[in-house]
Amino acid sequence: MSSPSELGIMFRLIRRNPVSMLGLIIVVTFVIVGLIAPYILTRPEEAWGIAYNVKDRFLPPSPQHPFGTDEYGRDMFNRVLLGTRFSLMIAVGVVGLALLIGIPVGLIAGYVGGKVGTALMRVTDMFLAFPPLLLAIALAATLGRGLTNTIVALAISWWPWYARLIFVQVNSIKSLPYVDAARVMGLGSLTIMFKHILPNALTPITVQAALDMGSAILEAAGLSFLGVGVPPPTPEWGLLVSMGWQSINRAWWISFFPGLAIVITVLGFNLLADAVREAMDPRLRKALIMKGV
Amino acid sequence: MSKEYIVKRIALLILVVFGVLIITFVITRLIPAHPELLWAGPHATMEQIEKARRELHLNDPIYVQLYYYLLNFVRGDWGVSWRTRSPVLHDVLSALPATLELVIVAFIIAIVIGIPLGVYAALRRDRLADHIIRVLTVLGASVPVFWLALIVQLVFGSWLHILPAAKRVDEILVLRTGFHPITGFYLLDALIEGNIPVFLDVLRHMILPATVLSLYPMSLCARMTRALMVEVLNEQYIRAAKAWGLPGKLVTFKYALKNAIAPVIASLGLSFGYTIIGAFMVELIFVWPGIGFYAAMSLLSFDYPAIVGVIVIVAIFYSVINMVVDIIHAIIDPRVRL
Repeated sequence: MSSPSELGIMFRLIRRNPVSMLGLIIVVTFVIVGLIAPYILTRPEEAWGIAYNVKDRFLPPSPQHPFGTDEYGRDMFNRVLLGTRFSLMIAVGVVGLALLIGIPVGLIAGYVGGKVGTALMRVTDMFLAFPPLLLAIALAATLGRGLTNTIVALAISWWPWYARLIFVQVNSIKSLPYVDAARVMGLGSLTIMFKHILPNALTPITVQAALDMGSAILEAAGLSFLGVGVPPPTPEWGLLVSMGWQSINRAWWISFFPGLAIVITVLGFNLLADAVREAMDPRLRKALIMKGV
Repeated sequence: MSKEYIVKRIALLILVVFGVLIITFVITRLIPAHPELLWAGPHATMEQIEKARRELHLNDPIYVQLYYYLLNFVRGDWGVSWRTRSPVLHDVLSALPATLELVIVAFIIAIVIGIPLGVYAALRRDRLADHIIRVLTVLGASVPVFWLALIVQLVFGSWLHILPAAKRVDEILVLRTGFHPITGFYLLDALIEGNIPVFLDVLRHMILPATVLSLYPMSLCARMTRALMVEVLNEQYIRAAKAWGLPGKLVTFKYALKNAIAPVIASLGLSFGYTIIGAFMVELIFVWPGIGFYAAMSLLSFDYPAIVGVIVIVAIFYSVINMVVDIIHAIIDPRVRL
């Protein structure tokens, strides 16, 4: 089911649509900026929140300070730039950890089946009974503020989605003849599960997970805004918006630009997700391939 | 409509509520090293902490703790919020109507704008209008609701002074007209009492928060409607209807939309969860005295009994809404019952 040409076709489909291409460009830029952000800061101490510059408080956007300055005179452009790294860390952390829990659960539930499988999926369903973010709020409020706690809280409310997805995949793969053949040859269950079933179930879930990163960023920002996410002075975007709230009538830019960064990034991921979902639709793809895309 | 389906669905709901309670028990009582410290609050005295230990039965084995947790939940003894100093269940129930009213209005806005937008996009498929609507709906799902609320409040409330930027109703107007809420749904109460000034004022207060909150369900609604309409418009029977020379409007709205509407309603049910969490932030910003405001204030002041209470009630409420949506879906579309 998965092959390099699969992704190749997907990429060709994305390139055809300017809106999808915009999404791809935003996502790539976000990842690159997130990786190099700490090394391109012009005012690193202000960005990390360890230096104050009281005489430059509440300066509106200008060539020196494109995004203005906050109540401690810190340059908001540098803060938002460094925030990219935190959002990237949270996005990768949440999705990665959620996969780490969700994949084994879904795999075992799907392959072993029977009572164990049913029990595992019932537990999964109970987690899914919570509205999005609510479980993460409960966990974050219990664990306390912090980057790791935020990632853990969000990942624990996310893994059930991946467990479900893998479960469905494994269920359809395990009855294929090659799996029976492997069993007849006397391979162990673990070998069959991880070496022969998992690789074939992985493509859809990795694509899904990569595109879920936008939602992870959005939810982490929400946690920070509610005071149970990342603690100050971390320049996480949601926290920056919330920090600017009290002085919003005096200095709108403190909240505005970090929020804009969230909007653009999440929009990029969602546009790309939209394009990929369309590209994975077999009917549409068949039509396009016949047209010679 | 078979009774069997409804009974099955209610049995499932009870199971889900039980699951929700177990998970919240694990998160709030087993994971923290000292739940009594969280329960008693950050400025508690030794006696208060000791009292919390007794209230939570922490000296007993876990299954006894769970038993009392469930028992207290059923008896309505949800602890006392140390921020408001009143029982959590009372706080939560009295805040519920304000939120429901806001969310209902938000959903009405979402449906009234979202469905026509989706129909229009489907009719203009792959043309400019369709692309614009696509970008707008994706944008609607990408905007952090708390940021939008802040910006909208700043622009329309503080800069332009067009709309009230906080609270549910002008208190002076309430005193002058002698408005007495009965149900807690102010729009309804004002109508019952025939109090038109208050009705209009409540409506004006609602415009900003409800619009902000409606953005996500509206986007979802428009996208779902578009996708389903595109599919239905390609069906043979629609082509046949057109070939017969039936008017385009009749075909679109009567024959096509009718068959696309059930899944749209189902998807709106799912977005209810997202919307109610959005209400946590929107209500905090617009000082809207609902359950979201209560939740956000409890979180910001680490009022743990209140936090646990809100989480349980919102999760249960969400499960109930999902059940109702499933049943409505089954009534509209009999195939679901199979």
